[in-house]
Amino acid sequence: MRIGSYELRLEKRLTLIGWQAAIISVLAIIFALALFSFIFILAKINPLFAYRQIFSYAFANPYGLPLTINRFIFLLLCTCAFIIPFRAGLWNIGMTGQFYVGALGAFAVLFAFGVKRSPSSNFSPELIIPAMLIAAALGGAGFGAVAGFLKGKFNVNEIVVTMMLNSIAFWLVSYMIKEGGPFMSPGGEGQGFMLPPSLYAPLIMNAPFTILVALGIAVLLYFLFTKTAIGYQIKAHGHSPAAARYAGISTFKIPLLVFILGGAVAGLAGYHYFAAVPGLYKISSDYRYFGDLAFYGIICGLISLGDPFAAIPVALLFGGLSIGGRFAQGKLHLGFGVDYALLGVLMITLVAFQFFYRYRIAWAKK
Amino acid sequence: MWEFIVRSLEASTIFTFAALGELIDQRSGVLNVVLEGVMLFGATLGFIAAKTTGSYLLGFLVGMAIGGLLGFLHGFFSVTLGVDQVVSGMGIWILGFGLTTYIGNPYTGPLGMKRIPPLLFGLSPFFYVGIALVVVLWFVLSKTSLGLRIRSVGENPSVAEVSGINVTRTRYLCVTIGGMFAGLAGAIYALFYNPVWNYNFLMGWGFIALALVFFSMWNPLILLGGSLLFGSLWQLSLNPQLVLPGVLSRYIWRTVPFAITIGVLLIISTKWFRTRWGAAKPEALAKPYVKE
Repeated sequence: MRIGSYELRLEKRLTLIGWQAAIISVLAIIFALALFSFIFILAKINPLFAYRQIFSYAFANPYGLPLTINRFIFLLLCTCAFIIPFRAGLWNIGMTGQFYVGALGAFAVLFAFGVKRSPSSNFSPELIIPAMLIAAALGGAGFGAVAGFLKGKFNVNEIVVTMMLNSIAFWLVSYMIKEGGPFMSPGGEGQGFMLPPSLYAPLIMNAPFTILVALGIAVLLYFLFTKTAIGYQIKAHGHSPAAARYAGISTFKIPLLVFILGGAVAGLAGYHYFAAVPGLYKISSDYRYFGDLAFYGIICGLISLGDPFAAIPVALLFGGLSIGGRFAQGKLHLGFGVDYALLGVLMITLVAFQFFYRYRIAWAKK
Repeated sequence: MWEFIVRSLEASTIFTFAALGELIDQRSGVLNVVLEGVMLFGATLGFIAAKTTGSYLLGFLVGMAIGGLLGFLHGFFSVTLGVDQVVSGMGIWILGFGLTTYIGNPYTGPLGMKRIPPLLFGLSPFFYVGIALVVVLWFVLSKTSLGLRIRSVGENPSVAEVSGINVTRTRYLCVTIGGMFAGLAGAIYALFYNPVWNYNFLMGWGFIALALVFFSMWNPLILLGGSLLFGSLWQLSLNPQLVLPGVLSRYIWRTVPFAITIGVLLIISTKWFRTRWGAAKPEALAKPYVKE
């Protein structure tokens, strides 16, 4: 193709270096935001104005920023939950279910300590909060392990299984918090019981301490993938399970392991959203909204190409976009679901840009 | 009881349409992991079209058209651009889930149109169309030269290409038609089976339909049987009191079809099953074909 005096053609890439991939990801995000402008234009809103509203609320507003941080923690956890199996070549789209079960695990600890029956007694947070974290991680891990086990042992398609598990977990939560379920709040119908104030997650500079957990997990994953034998085995499995088997890597243990780890991380997200985000402190009746948000983890994971460090800025950006989008929706009188629509446009753009991982546009002056 | 059976058969019809679409895709070697996204689009746009114009026909046509378009898009990504088929499918799913939430929201609520009258024995026309399609598709796939072309593209595209079959065109044809089926399945859901719009309302239908294709061993006739099974199961999970009144919470019953899907997938993935039946799987499934 010719543009002016330049000749453009497609060339196959032989290698893809980190910074090139990063540029492609950034371009994809910019392109998606440009494409999404059409939604604003259709709603008769100046897109630049809309984006200014979104970003200023998400990152420079005293009310918006804490929300962004909370969502960032959630997204980073979901992204890590996606990345771990992704590096082994497996698709975890079950973050939603693992997140639900993690939340159930955390509240099961409270239930066991009798918080629901006597919310005003004295509880020791030093004991119960760690127990909640562990239970959330175990719940998510156990749920993830189902998919990992079936994949490793019988090669059952993990996409379908994790999606089925999402639906199962969704109804389990309904069972627990609705119509007289064990975790139902004594007063209100259809939502879980409240966390007593003494057990609110401690805050660090107004952010729940789970921010350290999430960042710590990202760092640990970086070391896992770059410095350890297990990380190497996971990556080898991701390149080619058959080759990995020849190299003596168990094609049973690796899928099981990555889904246990991924599930545990997603389970922690369940603790984070329902027990650590200020103002919520219960499994709310609209828990499905948060569960669906977990799918953002897929996009963040794909854009960051499975790199846990890259996931940090990406999760922060997307956390801000989803909070800002929600705000813009109210402020600019847009319909419900702007943040979901943005999620969809980002995802499909990213898919199209995958092409540039394999090809590049070369240009030469004629 | 008859009413329950009718509802089950109607649910089966939706599974049949969606899974038939996926079966066509897969027979040509293209995997579309997320029918759910195509179904959501077909359902939402079909619902909006019918609600605003008052015409059922237009609603179904729009559902089919958007399904075909998305199928074509999946073809563009996976056949022309050579993007990983799972990634492309995920993209279409999340696009469907995200955009339909936004687009459909102003239309939340019941359709508010007169129900489509039953044709025979209290069953809708879709049921009979579905059965006919199964037979037609079985015939086309196994008895005609077009079917042979589709199957050979799914088994071994390079050999097919050498023998003069246009792999790209065949795959595009299949993904577009497959998408139309899935879009229509979504439209039937939203316009007939449960004519109330709410965001992301499918909650796993598309994924169960995908599992059904694996279960069917890529044979439309077995697929019909599977659809009947899962349609009844789905309906049962909604009305457990019909069979076992008072046993378990209704929420627990809702998990049953999903749990059984996992069980079925497990069985068909076992070594025993694969050595006995597994040869039916299209050899080139999910592998992008790059012309040398």
